[in-house]
Amino acid sequence: MPAVVEQNLHYIVIANFALVAALLVVIGKLATARPLTEIPGGRQNAAEMALEWFVDQAKRIHPASVLLVAPFLATIFLLILFSNLLAILPVPVLRIPPTSYFSVPLALAVVAVFGVVVLKAKVDGAWSVFKHSFWPNPLQLVGDASHVLSLSLRLYGNIGGEYLVAVLASQAAPYGIPIVIHALGLIPASVQPIVFTLLTADFLATASLGGGAGGHTAVPEAT
Amino acid sequence: MKEILLIFVPALTLVPPAVAAAFAMRKISSTALEGMTRQPQIAQQLFTSMLVSMALVEALVIYCLVVALMLAGKV
Repeated sequence: MPAVVEQNLHYIVIANFALVAALLVVIGKLATARPLTEIPGGRQNAAEMALEWFVDQAKRIHPASVLLVAPFLATIFLLILFSNLLAILPVPVLRIPPTSYFSVPLALAVVAVFGVVVLKAKVDGAWSVFKHSFWPNPLQLVGDASHVLSLSLRLYGNIGGEYLVAVLASQAAPYGIPIVIHALGLIPASVQPIVFTLLTADFLATASLGGGAGGHTAVPEAT
Repeated sequence: MKEILLIFVPALTLVPPAVAAAFAMRKISSTALEGMTRQPQIAQQLFTSMLVSMALVEALVIYCLVVALMLAGKV
């Protein structure tokens, strides 16, 4: 890595992350540019296909607040997925994935856990959130903090580790081998966003959204 | 001699958890695949459950990786 890049790594990571966010906003605007029709075609079809899974997850958590939960999960998923996929771009500075630096996964995990609290406050009211934090066990707050740690470390370990391997391999053998490493890296790059989103959905469900029984979403009961 | 032995400390922090996690993941994936072949209609649900279970196992190894990296920085 050149010295200039290494010195300005923080700015590059932030710029790449902002770029991914801007790209997602543009894609979202394009997908909903035309008025939605009964019979979807082209872009609308693709957008509906991408959103269907999140809507299913949100329905399992709390059917009445799908409009609140599904966009939250979809935003987290798409942001992480596109950030991870930056690693396969053949452009020198742009190919540094933001999620391979601990600050970005940590920020995402804080947003996810805080977002769960905010969503619960919106659905059930602030008093319910306050009560959940201290009752039946006052250590719930410690549990929430450990969620932040586990979510962020998992994402960082997978993507950062894969990126480190790719960098070391391309230093040792510049041709051929890095392609294989990047092809293998596509697996964690696409699985980790799913895991992050599923675990966030799980926290949301175990936070007993809607004051109901609040079961696990990720482990549905097989009939 | 002591320096040479210290090199192995980060490796020894990471390798036993990785081996244990490999066995755990073998159990998870083989059981999930068995369930999927027995009941293909719930394969999608089993797949997501499998991913979450694997992520939970994997997280423990990543904690060890972080500790190993910290130790490697100190040694």
